[in-house]
Amino acid sequence: MLYYELKKVFTKKGSQVALVLVGILLVTAVFLAVKGVSWTEEDGTTHLEGYQAAKKLKEAGEAWYGPLTEEKLSAVIAENTRVNETPQGQSQDVTQSNIAYSWKQGFREIREMLNRSFGEFRSYDYYTADALKPADAACFYSNRIKNLETWLASDEEKDRFSEAEKQFLISRYQELETPFEYQYAEGWKQLFEYAPTVVMILMLILGFLVAGIFSGEFQTKADALFFSSMHGRGKASRAKVEAGFLIVTMLYWAVFLLYSLGVLGILGFEGADCPIQISGAGWKSFYNITFWEEYILIAVGGYIGCVFMAALTMLVSAKTKSSVLAVIVPFVLIFGPSMISFSRSVVVEKILGLFPDWLLRLNQCVGMFYLYSVGGKQVGAIPILLVLYGVLAVLLQPLLYRVYRRQAR
Amino acid sequence: MELKLENLTKTFQDVEAVSGIDYTMKNGVYGLLGVNGAGKTTLMRMICTLAKPTKGRILCNGQEIWQLDWKYRKILGYLPQEFGFYPEFTAEDYLRYIASIKGIPAAAAKKRVDELLVQVGMEKYRKKKMKRFSGGMKRRIGIAQAMLNNPKILVLDEPTAGLDPNERIRFRNLISELSEDRLVLLSTHIVSDVEYIANEILLMKEGKLKQAGTAYELAVGIPEQVWVCRVPRERAAEYEKRYRVANLRTLPDGVELRLLAGHAPAPDARCVEATLEDVFLYYFGNRQEGEGEQHAVL
Repeated sequence: MLYYELKKVFTKKGSQVALVLVGILLVTAVFLAVKGVSWTEEDGTTHLEGYQAAKKLKEAGEAWYGPLTEEKLSAVIAENTRVNETPQGQSQDVTQSNIAYSWKQGFREIREMLNRSFGEFRSYDYYTADALKPADAACFYSNRIKNLETWLASDEEKDRFSEAEKQFLISRYQELETPFEYQYAEGWKQLFEYAPTVVMILMLILGFLVAGIFSGEFQTKADALFFSSMHGRGKASRAKVEAGFLIVTMLYWAVFLLYSLGVLGILGFEGADCPIQISGAGWKSFYNITFWEEYILIAVGGYIGCVFMAALTMLVSAKTKSSVLAVIVPFVLIFGPSMISFSRSVVVEKILGLFPDWLLRLNQCVGMFYLYSVGGKQVGAIPILLVLYGVLAVLLQPLLYRVYRRQAR
Repeated sequence: MELKLENLTKTFQDVEAVSGIDYTMKNGVYGLLGVNGAGKTTLMRMICTLAKPTKGRILCNGQEIWQLDWKYRKILGYLPQEFGFYPEFTAEDYLRYIASIKGIPAAAAKKRVDELLVQVGMEKYRKKKMKRFSGGMKRRIGIAQAMLNNPKILVLDEPTAGLDPNERIRFRNLISELSEDRLVLLSTHIVSDVEYIANEILLMKEGKLKQAGTAYELAVGIPEQVWVCRVPRERAAEYEKRYRVANLRTLPDGVELRLLAGHAPAPDARCVEATLEDVFLYYFGNRQEGEGEQHAVL
């Protein structure tokens, strides 16, 4: 029965087109992610992208890999200053500036961290690092905490968080292990950059594929035969639930793993054990995790989100007997929240922070300060999202079965 | 096998689609005859557990079919009026799928599908997609799927709808072949579909069971007689208003009418034997003007 349910889905022309689109999505996403890594040659005019750029970056950064100690940070500041003082560093000419930049590429990520640490919490200035002296390196880690404290106490934000929430955030910042383990991690960064796009588009395609599973019999008028058969209201209905689950599971993991392998295979797996705070997107995060742990969160979160949304799509399909209505569900779930985020009220923000669309873009959620009080403890949005929608996704499966069975009468 | 309908009623909002039907069926072919909207499909859907009765119940060998649940559906074969299929499936795939939801193990299903494809004359189209089939071919696959589980109760709702005369005859013969040792309930509004193959005919009108019996019993049971008479062409319309006219044939010197009447409608009218079509006309046909009985001899 399961085999034929899958066959019903994949023999449709529309589904075959959808699978081709999945292939195109995969290739495009890998291409764009890989292309995102750049390298400028020492002549100041040759620019590389992708694999070659990644290779050069790895080689150039080797001297700086390892624990990001005060000494190493001082050395980066000193080297940055040295480059700035060269004729090329002083020049206003674009090519000359590019030559100077090419000398900084080995430590450019560390330089970026200096910009964030020594800048204000919600602002960014590319030249902040250029004004530093080697002695400033001592404040690198404490600045991160101080900036948070200043921001939390600012007029703009002071009412946004409760005292307990502020303390929680500060303690998470303080708990972060220092010095940071630093290594080349462009593969992970680029992987995370395009993961939400891949997962969201994949979800829309999955929605299209599963929307017809439960409405198909009504649309083809095969429902009378189906429900009057021995297993129509039992095993055959269960096979539909299983088919939906299987399609989402197989396609999701196939695409996600292929995307991961594609990007990491080209750009490199290095940096998996580094804290996400060494990247621009993770610098402010209060989730003290490594790139590998973030990857697991993104993968599992995306999967739970897809299973939940697909189950909801199938539920609408089973209830309304219409795949047209059902196929709208993922669109509403993914794009709906952004249309109602008109208010900056704390309550609205907190509610929006628990919408399922975040599961499809957990890499963005990692950088958000959504906090919830659960049993007197402060908890970030991510664990709540994973548990809440994980449970709902599981509960929707038997509900789906019951709703569909009831359509027989 | 016994299927007993007890005070079977189905109401949709305030309309009674099926109204208080009591009837018992045993093995044999039962023809359910009635005009469109008479409640035939609703009755069949209840028998196939696709609609729950508002009142009354259906017993299969003494047990309520809704309580029997899958055990009842296991012995049921159904060809609905609107026979849905999966357009991208081949005939073989389709039958194998239906066999699986009917609980037939894969090995047995393969053998049964092969047998039935031969029996319905579709063996050479087994690998062809169903969306390319003609109406008659689809109906043949439809009857094959209904027979997959070798059902004890076979329900066929308007199985000849949309078929050309040749296909209808072939289909009728096929049903006759399949009717041994089982209860076949066949609904139609085409009299000739059931006249020769049904052991008993049930006449349904406005949700009620008006009459039941063999074709002969029904024919002799109507309170009017069947007359054939010749009248001038200009008076034909007048006769059509006064009587239920079964047939009107134009002749060089007038028209020959076959009609139902309590007395001879014309001096030269001759009484003939009633057929099932006349019975149908008696119960379901209207005179062109009103319902009132007119016995005047013109």
